[in-house]
Amino acid sequence: MADKPRVAIFDFTGCEGCELNQLNFEDQLLDILAHVDIVEWREAMDGHADEYDIAFVEGSLSTPDCIQRIHEVRRKAKVLVALGACAVQGGVNAVKNTHPIDEVREEVYGQDKYLFPTLPALPLSSVVKVDYNVRGCPMTQIEFLKVFTSLVMGKEPVEPEHSVCVECKLKENECVFERGMICLGPVIRAGCDAQCPSVGQYCTGCRGLVPEPNLEGMEEILVSHGLSVDEAWKRLELYNANEVEGVRS
Amino acid sequence: MVQLFLESDRVAELVAHLMKQKSVFAPHAKGRKSFAFEEVKDPSAAVLDYPRVMHSIRKFFFPPQETLMTFDLKENTCSVAETPAADAIFFGVHSYDLGAVHRLDYNFSEGNPEKNYIARRQGAVFVGVSYKPDEFHFSGSVGIDPYDTAGFDIFLTKLLDGYIVEALTPVGEGLLDGIELPAHEAGKPARGHFQQHIYLPQAKLGQVMDGSYQNEVWDDTAKKCVGCGTCNLVCPTCYCFTVEDEVNVQVTGGSRDRRWDGCMLRDFSAVAGGEVFRETLAERQRHRVFRKFKYISDETGQPWCVGCGRCTACCTAGISIVNIINRLVGDYEKVAVTPI
Amino acid sequence: MINFEMVSPDNAKDLYLPVMAEIIKVEQMTELETLYTVALPDGAELGHKPGQFVELSIFGVGEAPFSISSSPTMPGVFELGVRKVGMLTEVLSRMQPGQKVGIRGPFGNGIDLENFKGKDVLIVAGGIGLVPMRSMINYVIDNQQDFGKLHIVYGARTDSELLFEDELERWTADAGIDYRVTVDQGSSEWTGPTGVITTLIPGLELDLANTVCCICGPPVMYRFALMALKSKGLPERNIYMSLERRMKCGVGKCGHCQINSSYVCHDGPVYHYPEIKSLQEAL
Repeated sequence: MADKPRVAIFDFTGCEGCELNQLNFEDQLLDILAHVDIVEWREAMDGHADEYDIAFVEGSLSTPDCIQRIHEVRRKAKVLVALGACAVQGGVNAVKNTHPIDEVREEVYGQDKYLFPTLPALPLSSVVKVDYNVRGCPMTQIEFLKVFTSLVMGKEPVEPEHSVCVECKLKENECVFERGMICLGPVIRAGCDAQCPSVGQYCTGCRGLVPEPNLEGMEEILVSHGLSVDEAWKRLELYNANEVEGVRS
Repeated sequence: MVQLFLESDRVAELVAHLMKQKSVFAPHAKGRKSFAFEEVKDPSAAVLDYPRVMHSIRKFFFPPQETLMTFDLKENTCSVAETPAADAIFFGVHSYDLGAVHRLDYNFSEGNPEKNYIARRQGAVFVGVSYKPDEFHFSGSVGIDPYDTAGFDIFLTKLLDGYIVEALTPVGEGLLDGIELPAHEAGKPARGHFQQHIYLPQAKLGQVMDGSYQNEVWDDTAKKCVGCGTCNLVCPTCYCFTVEDEVNVQVTGGSRDRRWDGCMLRDFSAVAGGEVFRETLAERQRHRVFRKFKYISDETGQPWCVGCGRCTACCTAGISIVNIINRLVGDYEKVAVTPI
Repeated sequence: MINFEMVSPDNAKDLYLPVMAEIIKVEQMTELETLYTVALPDGAELGHKPGQFVELSIFGVGEAPFSISSSPTMPGVFELGVRKVGMLTEVLSRMQPGQKVGIRGPFGNGIDLENFKGKDVLIVAGGIGLVPMRSMINYVIDNQQDFGKLHIVYGARTDSELLFEDELERWTADAGIDYRVTVDQGSSEWTGPTGVITTLIPGLELDLANTVCCICGPPVMYRFALMALKSKGLPERNIYMSLERRMKCGVGKCGHCQINSSYVCHDGPVYHYPEIKSLQEAL
């Protein structure tokens, strides 16, 4: 590539932890910067850019203003990458979608609720075309590097479709269920190298559901390990409310 | 065959004796209630009394993740990765896991013999140990007894207070040189008692499978199955893999790596363009079971399942391969006795 | 115990190491399909049979199987007809003559030519199914003395998707070849027949007992092509078909391409119809 691709980074509704995670690339940050020019990044620098090749976008869309801004980003970017659970599938924000929107507004803003227009928390892909995803909460660093090097090489990044269980098994982790915990790994997309189960935690599902998940089957698993039906679906909804909503009967 | 006796509290001494001759790999306690085969550093950490290890010793010959070659993107060249011989003692192996290694030996030898596996497999010495079948083992139904010494260099048979030690090959005899063990006079214990059984002699399973392609058990199983792939990945006779290129952050080079893959995963049979050839979980469950009891079995006359019980023990959905087979057996017998 | 002898390491192969081959020519055939001419180092011959495939790799991107489109009678080089459908083919589409790619193979059984020799040959090719079949077609044309009449039935979605146009013209002009083509949907310039490929089969004039057929096309085509050929009266034993599945290793190990008990990369991709009729996952 003759000129370095210009990269811009944007945030919508989210905690900005994904961007922080980008700044945490201590060992690789210089290598990353050798391949691209960062032209806009509110969290790390001043200034605006009118043109860029790759936009990394964090956060879900939850206000009319968000919708307008994401269209603007899409128009200017050749490639748009959704960064993290909020941007990819709505993330934790989307839990609010399981409640009536007026109740949500009142809970958050009280009597000022009419001053703050709000929408259900949506993934970027429900409004604009998203080219690639970096999943996770915060976004998975190893996956970011894969997507990044793919873009530098001009090849399409491949999104893993298999479950987190695969990565646990490759590492010969003791199954989280064997440790007496409840894990969503069987229906959650891999790509994080089973980060949480590998350090004694359980999978909360931040990377989104595998394609065509058998959620009734997963409900049965969770219930057989001690959750109530309602608790089971609440667990699944934590990061994946938008996808789970349609399935639960 | 000379039978020697090893007191339970001398096991570490035997391990230490073996370690003087070659690296020793043995089961170690891992996590809350699991066991894993690892290289022995402390002889007293080796465990002989365990139900099953998470991964069988296939992981030393066919690693979960392995670099096939490294490449240089600037020069556009590649060089093949080293595949060193195991050259080690595998201590405390259960008979079904060695049976699984023999099956993989076949898979990686027939057709196009694969150097990666075959090279790694060299110099492996096997010390077996008998085990008490738990609620998942069913090796007896596929012709592998807990006391089956076939293929082992040394075999340890569990007694109440220790082990009968038998050297079965010249290599095994050599390894026992220099450790003083008394002779074992009394006989061997009775055959292992299994809690799990396939309700049909092994020789007839082929016929059962022939008629089970359209059985309802596949759809019924698919309702519970979430397609996580665990049953494939823990199976000691599974050897499917996928290959991917990894590139370094500098984008100057990388490696072509393979990792274990499984036919229960949806993308396993997807081709470029999006077509998935085994779209449903029912089709995938059937394929998995047919791989274990029909396809290679028709070719070799042996079940490709060794009855270790891992796929059942590890299935969070509680799917039992023995129950699947027994349902097929039940339907087969119904048809067999129903006059047409 | 399994009754077999484990191979010694000296007799086992580095199955996954490619040789670096040079792209000699790149020819855009349609919007999506490109024909690559490739040469092995030191002028080595690939030594393939019609119906075989190679694994092509680009380091850092990956590896995928591609049917060999040229006849073994073409010396010094071989051709791969590639449709741009994935990451690897996307990167490949940007490569220029002089650049190198990794090649392993040829793999697969290929067409068993002995069963076609002395017979009339019928090729039924749908879409990019023509890519592997062209190898056989050109082999038959170059060895006319060994074969009877050559029938080619070819179908594409639209006339803009027709492949190897120069050759199609030559086949049309060659009185010795019974070449028929149809498109599902023709453009305003299309003067030939429209309709799915199976509509061409009833009109064929075949010496049924003496004609051997090979089919290759998209998954949906096989069943209908078979029905048409059977109702035409072609005996099942005279039918072969070349199948596509996901492949990784190409050498019968990785398991991806398996159809029931059969590894497409090793036992196929060309199957004798009576033999795969019993494989439920095949068609």
